[in-house]
Amino acid sequence: MSLPVEVMVGAVRGGTSILYAALGETVSERAGVINLGTEGCMLVGALTGYAVTASTGNPWVGVIAGAGAGALLALVHAVLVLSRGANQLATGLVVLFLGLGLTSLFGAAYVGRSINAFTPIAIPGLSSIPGLGDIFFNHDPLTYLSYLAGPAVWWFLYRSRPGLIMRAAGERQEVLAAYGHSPLRTRYLAVIGGGALAGIGGAQLSTAYANAWFENMTQGRGFIAVALVIFAAWHPLRAVGGAYLFGAALALSPALQARGYGFNQFALDAIPYLVTIGVLVVLGRKRAHAAPEGLKKVFEMTGA
Amino acid sequence: MSRLAAIDRAKLARGAGRLALAYAGALVLFGAFVMTKGANPVDVYREMWRSTVMNTTSIGQVLVKASPLILAGLAVAVPAKAGLVNVGGEGQVIMGAVAAGGVALALDGTLPGGVMVVVMMLAAAAAGGLWAGLAAVLRLTVRVNEAITTLLLNYVAIDLLLYLIYQPWKDKHGSGQPATRQLAVAARLPLLGTSKVHAGFLIAVVATAVIFGLLRWTSWGFRLRVVGGNAEAARRAGLPVSALLLSAMVVGGALAGLGGMVHFAGAEFKLRPGMTLNFGYIAFLAAWLARHEPVKVAGAAVLLALIAIGGDSLQLDSGLPAAAVNVLMGLVLVAVMGRGQFRAKAPKVMAVPAAQAPAVVS
Repeated sequence: MSLPVEVMVGAVRGGTSILYAALGETVSERAGVINLGTEGCMLVGALTGYAVTASTGNPWVGVIAGAGAGALLALVHAVLVLSRGANQLATGLVVLFLGLGLTSLFGAAYVGRSINAFTPIAIPGLSSIPGLGDIFFNHDPLTYLSYLAGPAVWWFLYRSRPGLIMRAAGERQEVLAAYGHSPLRTRYLAVIGGGALAGIGGAQLSTAYANAWFENMTQGRGFIAVALVIFAAWHPLRAVGGAYLFGAALALSPALQARGYGFNQFALDAIPYLVTIGVLVVLGRKRAHAAPEGLKKVFEMTGA
Repeated sequence: MSRLAAIDRAKLARGAGRLALAYAGALVLFGAFVMTKGANPVDVYREMWRSTVMNTTSIGQVLVKASPLILAGLAVAVPAKAGLVNVGGEGQVIMGAVAAGGVALALDGTLPGGVMVVVMMLAAAAAGGLWAGLAAVLRLTVRVNEAITTLLLNYVAIDLLLYLIYQPWKDKHGSGQPATRQLAVAARLPLLGTSKVHAGFLIAVVATAVIFGLLRWTSWGFRLRVVGGNAEAARRAGLPVSALLLSAMVVGGALAGLGGMVHFAGAEFKLRPGMTLNFGYIAFLAAWLARHEPVKVAGAAVLLALIAIGGDSLQLDSGLPAAAVNVLMGLVLVAVMGRGQFRAKAPKVMAVPAAQAPAVVS
């Protein structure tokens, strides 16, 4: 495999879990709620997906359970933020620590256990296209599903009525209320839906990517997803591209090392963050307009 | 008047009662979780209590753990007074540790221990201040929101730390996990008296007092609060808003950087991967629990350090993973944040008129 192909294969493989989480976070933030605890939602998704797959033998059931676990943890965030008026950034971190702790407590039993994981399925015909076949058409089913997830979220947010209502909840909830919709309910659904997608991302990691569970296995991917949403200016399709960019950065260094180029992994790892900051600096003002109005207020604190 | 006082007292008692209920609820819930793993919650709590506050050694451990948390908590509180959100404590702590570690490697043995400690402190504060100042400058020049940049810079700092540990600063003679060379004994923070608590705790306490005083009694502190209350009004009143915001952020970053140095020269003695695991985020929560009041921030940091140290007991005495203690911490925070006291301070849902809408997320 040539270097670019190998890196791009790695981009898709490593980027998929981040992609799901970033799409979930996009939905949530579009409704005006940022969830810094996406990492925690991914972790509970990863463990629940793994554990349920282990007990049922069916990874699909596992993924659905993982989505449920992510949604449940996000519900904690939603209750604190939406019904108790707590600060979003702080409760997001609380959710992160809950996720870290719960998965550590209940995950110990699953370390080193093997499961009936997802296996890559080469798509006949398409997978034999040179280059592209390896990059896109020789993956696990959850990766194929992720190809549809980006456009689906885009369609939902920009072409469907519930999506319009959701965006309205993030922009001007008083307008939404004036039209007889409940901004509160809409925001609850967005946060919970975002958690479910993060849970799927986590489950993809444990049941299709690593085929293992270990403590803190998401290793910051949830935070990457949060950063990505900003990078993508709250647009789902750009978030997909960003997820693959991160995946590529993660894949580049091992690929270089395998070819005898000594390269420090961590110098490469920093690139996506620096690029994101760079993009914000260059496009700062333009991107600022893309932020949902409701979200802008989150970052404004009154001097407590 | 006596009636008013009675009402106040009733209110206070209700608040305290609710808080106690919140803590109790968290403990009961965690106990239930622990039970599902076959441990006896009463034993678990007894062991945690015994191994955290029952003897001077364990109290010492708590205070050692709390020292960087206090400093990193203040690093959130000071910018918050000016209305800034610093989520970058983690990165600023790391940059402080990196600067202290770099100084230690570069000047090893050339300076007397005491001088070395001071140089490391200065370097760490400068590095932390720089890291936070970067975010402030970006906010003030290109209007990129500081909550986002400080968060992103955390990851850059982590990668920088790992880069240094794995390559240029790696101890060639070390075995196992890559790390830097150990800090010379003379350059370590001295222990306080006969205790196991290092001078870093003293630094944290002094910093808390200084910040408390600065915020309360100096014009700088007053101006910060004015800017935090209403930046536009402050600007019209002729206050140097940009300089004030920058100063709040740099002071915050310097405190967090100092926290990194304290952790390095007081507890770790070398740079290693994961050395500051989530300190910045825990401190962020401590600051929020305390509503950014310096003295309360220190108290909250000690409380969270206590819970964290309890995690070691969880592992040693009850055979549960140490990280499971994060559940207890999370539940305590959920209970305290969810008990409704924050409601009054909840962000207004009504839209701010565009002219007032302040600097902008991007």
